[in-house]
Order: sequence, then structure tokens, then C-alpha cells
Amino acid sequence: MAKVYTSSVVNAPAAKVWARVRDFNGLPSWHPAIGESRIENGEPADKVGCIRDFRLRNGDRIREQLLGLSDYDMFCTYSILESPMGVENYVATLRLTPITDGQRTFLEWTAEFDCAPEREAELVSNIGTGVFQGGFDALKRQFGG
Amino acid sequence: MVKSTIIDAPVDRVWAILRDFNGHDRWHPAVKTSVIERHLPSDLVGCVRRFQLQDGSELREQLLTLSDLEMTFSYCLLDTPVPLFNYVAHVRLLPVTDGNRTFWHWECRFTTPAGREAEMAKMVGEQIYEAGFEAIRRHEALAA
Repeated sequence: MAKVYTSSVVNAPAAKVWARVRDFNGLPSWHPAIGESRIENGEPADKVGCIRDFRLRNGDRIREQLLGLSDYDMFCTYSILESPMGVENYVATLRLTPITDGQRTFLEWTAEFDCAPEREAELVSNIGTGVFQGGFDALKRQFGG
Repeated sequence: MVKSTIIDAPVDRVWAILRDFNGHDRWHPAVKTSVIERHLPSDLVGCVRRFQLQDGSELREQLLTLSDLEMTFSYCLLDTPVPLFNYVAHVRLLPVTDGNRTFWHWECRFTTPAGREAEMAKMVGEQIYEAGFEAIRRHEALAA
């Protein structure tokens, strides 16, 4: 099983960062790789079990299901149902933790999945650096550091 | 009570300093001397450190858990001259992959006589935890 761990720091209080990222249908509003997103069957985006159907800016379509959402612990867990990435059993978690020293936020984005062995290094790099760190970099720009 | 910070050094180097349960007299400004009782190794879960603060007061704390994999440890206070009862603390380090830095999370729970909660939380949070953060930030082993 391949594992990805990416973490960063955003110079804004965790509650403010969480308000931006907790919307399971809100990726297009903050993640530069995501073009459009909708929740299937008209369900609320914070209903655990709901499915988001979104497109990357390169045209790829991905469907993901919300498995867990906690406003108290500030994390969101989801799985990939359909994607062109060639991954199986993909489960990811985005978690925010307040940094008491300086009103900042510690962000962790983790994923585990199965894939063909020869593709593992490439997938880990694309997901960790491209998708996860790319999202963190966008949040850092949006929150001024 | 929770305090956390970012240390501008790789997580394995910060952990190498913090994991020694008997090493705090070499980096924490509040701790003057420290020994592990019965000459036990300082990474033996269950060992007890007996230490003196700069003001001469003596405390004993017991190591409850230690994980090099998770980079965590926890400990409890056995004896203290201040009214901190049922005190259990947890230290956890996590890597900040963006910049090869360290997230350091230090939290505790305790009971104290009614009316003294804020005073005790402030003392532990500022004089122990935040002072510890600052000392590690300036630690020579982490100098760039």
C-alpha cells in the first residue's frame, strides 16, 4: 500500500482555514487544479456519504465520497470511487490543527492507496507534490503566507 | 491545556533531543538537574525522573509511553510542590514536509483546587511549555 504525507503551515487561524476547506463541494474555490464540482443527487456537501463529481482543469473527471467530517477535530476523510489515476482503495484525510504560537494552522494531507508497483513513485509524487502541496500553496497565497 | 509551535529544524533532529526523558536539564531553562531513579535507562517506559527546578523545588515524573515511530511520549507527575494533581502530559512531533520543519504539540490535563485553574495553566503553559519551545528554537544542535 502506497502512502502519501504532505504537511504545511498557513499564517491564519485554524477556524478561518477550516471554513475555506470544509466544504466538500468547494474545491474549485480554493484549489487551483480543480475546475468544477457538484454533489450528486442534490445532497448537502456536509452529509457524510455524499459524492462529489468534479473535473480537473486538465479535463480528468473524478468522483469521491465523503467518509468522515469533523468540525470539532477539523478533519475530512474521503475515498476515490472513480478516477483515471489507476489507484485502488484510495482513502485520504485533510486535517487542520491550531498552532497556539502565533495564530497559525498546521495542515496535514494524507492518502493511502494500492496501485501497480511501477507506478507508485510517480503517483506518490504527483499526489503529494502536485495535488496536496499545490493546494497548500494556494491556501498560503490566499491567507497571505 | 495545549501549546504548539513550529520549529525550523527537521523533525528527527528535534526528536533526538526531546526523546531523552532525562535530557531536559540540558535544554530546558527551568530545570537545573535531573536523574533517572534506580539507574534505569531514560527510554525505559515506567522509569522515573527526579529533577530540581532553578528555584530548588523537586519534582518526580514517570514516563508512561515512548514511541520513536510516532515521535510521541507521555508522562505523569508523581510528586510536586505545586497543586497539580492527576497531571498527565503528551508530547508529539510531526514533520512539516513543506520546508522540512517540525510541528510540536504539547498538551496536558490536570486537576487543581477550585479557583487556581487559570494560574496553574498559565504557569505550565508559559514557564514550562512555551519556555521549552524557545529553548529548543535556540538549541545549538539545531543551528543551521
